[in-house]
Amino acid sequence: MGTRVRVINLLTMVVLLALPQEQRAQAGGSVAESRPNPNQTLAIVVNRSNPIDNLSFSELRKIFMGERNHWANGHRIAIAMLNYGQPERRTVLRQVYKMDEKGYEDYVLGVMFRGDVFVAPKTLTSPTILRKFVFNAPGAIGYLRSRDVDETVKVVRIDGLRPADKGYRLQIDEPSGAGEPE
Amino acid sequence: MSPVYLLLMKTRSMPGNARCGLFLSCVLLVLPVSLQSQQPQSTPSVDVGTIQELLNRIADLEASQKQLRARVDQLEEAQSGVAATNVAPQSLSVSAASAPVKSEPPKGESTSAAQSDQSGTMPESEHMDLNRTALNIRGFGDFGFYGGTQKGQTTSFSIGQTNLFITSNLSERIRFLTEMVFEVHEDNAFSVDLERVLLEGSLNDHLKLSAGRYHTAIGYYNTAYHHSTWFQTATERPYIFEYEDEGGILPIHMVGVQATGQIPSGRLGLHYIFEVGNGRTSDPFAEPVQNYVDENGHKAMNVAAFIRPDTVPGLQAGFSVYRDVRVVPNSPRIDETVADAYAVLIRPRFEWLNEALMIRHAPEGQHIYETPAFYSQISERFGMYRPYLRYQYINASSHEPVFPHVGLRTGPSIGMRFDVTESAALKLQYDYTTLRRQGPIDGKTCVQLSMCAPSAVAAQVDFKF
Repeated sequence: MGTRVRVINLLTMVVLLALPQEQRAQAGGSVAESRPNPNQTLAIVVNRSNPIDNLSFSELRKIFMGERNHWANGHRIAIAMLNYGQPERRTVLRQVYKMDEKGYEDYVLGVMFRGDVFVAPKTLTSPTILRKFVFNAPGAIGYLRSRDVDETVKVVRIDGLRPADKGYRLQIDEPSGAGEPE
Repeated sequence: MSPVYLLLMKTRSMPGNARCGLFLSCVLLVLPVSLQSQQPQSTPSVDVGTIQELLNRIADLEASQKQLRARVDQLEEAQSGVAATNVAPQSLSVSAASAPVKSEPPKGESTSAAQSDQSGTMPESEHMDLNRTALNIRGFGDFGFYGGTQKGQTTSFSIGQTNLFITSNLSERIRFLTEMVFEVHEDNAFSVDLERVLLEGSLNDHLKLSAGRYHTAIGYYNTAYHHSTWFQTATERPYIFEYEDEGGILPIHMVGVQATGQIPSGRLGLHYIFEVGNGRTSDPFAEPVQNYVDENGHKAMNVAAFIRPDTVPGLQAGFSVYRDVRVVPNSPRIDETVADAYAVLIRPRFEWLNEALMIRHAPEGQHIYETPAFYSQISERFGMYRPYLRYQYINASSHEPVFPHVGLRTGPSIGMRFDVTESAALKLQYDYTTLRRQGPIDGKTCVQLSMCAPSAVAAQVDFKF
């Protein structure tokens, strides 16, 4: 490796270190492309008291579809959904439910009507409120953009992968909604 | 992309030394700005009084925190003897105590706000919050225009069933459910029926117990589609699953108890259903569903099982066997068996229902009658439009002891469902039916036009509210 290249690399590192953390992460995106962008990954979160650490995608889908209603510890599962139109919700509808909004609404109404589930998913207006709901409800499960996760909730691995891991399935393939209530 | 990389790309054509020099200049320009932004700002001058006031507030906060900690410890002690299953998902205090997390709740969120956000799920205690409604109500209705080619039959506007679907969660594991249906029959008068009244208890995924009046789990259609045309694709139920008070020949409703649940089976998704109830009356002039008194001591039983394999999303296949004894005065008792097998594929855009039945009536010491029946229905959604095709068949003997009027009924129905809005749909359907025995069933007006006339048309508006 030539001296000039080494100098350039060194200077690049110095400049990157001088940048604020967020800009540094953004600038480093091209260096570590294999790492999912935490702004664009969807973390599945449960209450901290829930012993579950990992779910297969199939199990996750059964939970959200209402085909599984209880956790192993006996608590009834309470599903938390973000409000209509938010990118995180659209991602879950598309990737987990594999439905559009109308299909989802009819599906939930149908399983309620048939008696397959007792309580419809709880719709919450913002990630903050969803986080609070999951914090308070031992049986709760919901989803948050990874950047919105804090220590009050527990992130569940999906197929053994955390949101920051390469190959994680739940990617938000659209930007954060403008004017999104927070 | 990093500005540095952008700069690198732009300066690729420059000589190496020049490029290096340019970078050094950039770094020298950028570094001071960045480093300056990280410098601690100069400490503002404050007076001693302000500092003292802040110290006092810190002391107050520390005292308050100690009180809260003591309260949490107290609650944890009280909670330690209580089974985890008694902890409902809504109580902030109990949840905070039971959770291993030691962090504070999210900032800026009060307990009352947290609790109000959980109104959709069960309260921890059995105390009813009188400020909230205890009932969840959804409504469904339909209105239509129908006509057929049978002689003497008139075209009519008809009000269908107006259905109030009401649920109330009594606790985390117990729910009340009812379907209150307002409907009009051939006398043009309204009547009200509680088509389903159920108290359900869900112990876990493997056992849910229900008691009351429910739809008998014969096959698929009867429990997948209840008293609402909104959920079903076609304007009417298949003839074989028509309601008892509208000429149907199966015990659609049963009063009794029911156990359902999943059987651990991995990716197969095996489920079971077991039902015991009153069965239906043998008296053709009485209310078909024995809601209050059974005419005999024998109880009807129904056993069903189905799979929902993970490998084929939307597929459900299963069977059911229903057994009852019909005791008609001055007639031999009739053993009744209804065996059903089905395979359905339900996906958001595509549906394919296939179901076959064999209804067996065995009068004591006499000839046994077996009536085969099936229907198949296929549809696919294209945006707001969902065209569909159904073919149905039933062939009963003229001497069938329970429903001698049915005979042969077979033919296709073709239609289109158009979802005008998220809450309203228009359906247009044409039926062509081959009949061996025509005429009203049991002297009643045909509710299903395809049951009365070889050709029938229907335009129906379904809505939910």
